[in-house]
Amino acid sequence: MTEVNLAQSAQKKINKYLQDLGAALRTLPSVQARDIVAELRSHIVDKVAASGNMTAAVVESVLADLGRPEDLASLYLTDDLQVRALASGSPLLILRSLFRWASLSLAGFLVLVSSLLGCSVALALVACALLKPIHPLTAGLWRIPDEADSYSISLRLGFGSVPPGSRDLLGWWIVPIGLLLGFGFFFLTARFGLWSIRRLRRESPIGAH
Amino acid sequence: MSVTTAKAIPEPSDKWEVQVRKGCLELAILAVLWSGRLYGLEILRRLAEGSALIVPEGTVYPLLSRLKAEGLLTSEWVEADAGHPRKYYKLTASGRRRAVQMAEFWFTFSSNLDGLLAPLRLAPLRKEDR
Repeated sequence: MTEVNLAQSAQKKINKYLQDLGAALRTLPSVQARDIVAELRSHIVDKVAASGNMTAAVVESVLADLGRPEDLASLYLTDDLQVRALASGSPLLILRSLFRWASLSLAGFLVLVSSLLGCSVALALVACALLKPIHPLTAGLWRIPDEADSYSISLRLGFGSVPPGSRDLLGWWIVPIGLLLGFGFFFLTARFGLWSIRRLRRESPIGAH
Repeated sequence: MSVTTAKAIPEPSDKWEVQVRKGCLELAILAVLWSGRLYGLEILRRLAEGSALIVPEGTVYPLLSRLKAEGLLTSEWVEADAGHPRKYYKLTASGRRRAVQMAEFWFTFSSNLDGLLAPLRLAPLRKEDR
């Protein structure tokens, strides 16, 4: 009777571990997540069987060897995102992959910050070009006087008025130049992201670890 | 390197050693699969026996999945005598090419490095270095 109870509580531990793993993998396609859970179930069952009897202590040590389910899942997820980002080159996947990487390492964080900066510059340039026809008198690249001799260059989207004495540096040229530079920046940022992911993957066999 | 010598080293978690082990893991997995299909636990056992790579189990399964995504391995579920199916991995043609490539690099690299390291072997540390 007690032996049966012991086996039951050991089985419960296994199920709990695999449930947590499945839950942590929920962002993967469900076929893939089920496949991973099945593979690890088979690993656990084999290892427990190899060590003789199914006791709570044996199960616990087998599970401990695998690491926490969240950590295990995170290795799969980081890797899956990177593989998909590399295969598709999609800016959204690259960004998601960078976000995940940033949460794991300083290098990832720095790459994410530079990528976000690149994206915002790109966005600002494109927005300025698109808003120029709507705000013809105020949008554009402006040279704005600060004090006596100094001035600052500012990209303005055209909301509000321009300080007196300012000069519109590009005029209508902001439309083609902004679009070109904006998309150029966006493209370069995406390439930079892909390049970083590829480098990172070469450096460590398991994604960001 | 055997497990006992690894233990004799003061800091087994030394970053350099960890990096070397990690860097070799992919090649070791491809090599273990060279002679035929194996399932995850068999791969882990061969790695432990053959190389003392001391691999954390939790890293091997995601790595197998990545090697598969990169087209170096294929996998199939096989119903086993054990009463539950097991997932077997096998090298693809491109996996075999990659394994040979990596092994060639490794042999050249390690024999060059061995030459450089030869004077260090069994060299007693000088007093001022201790």
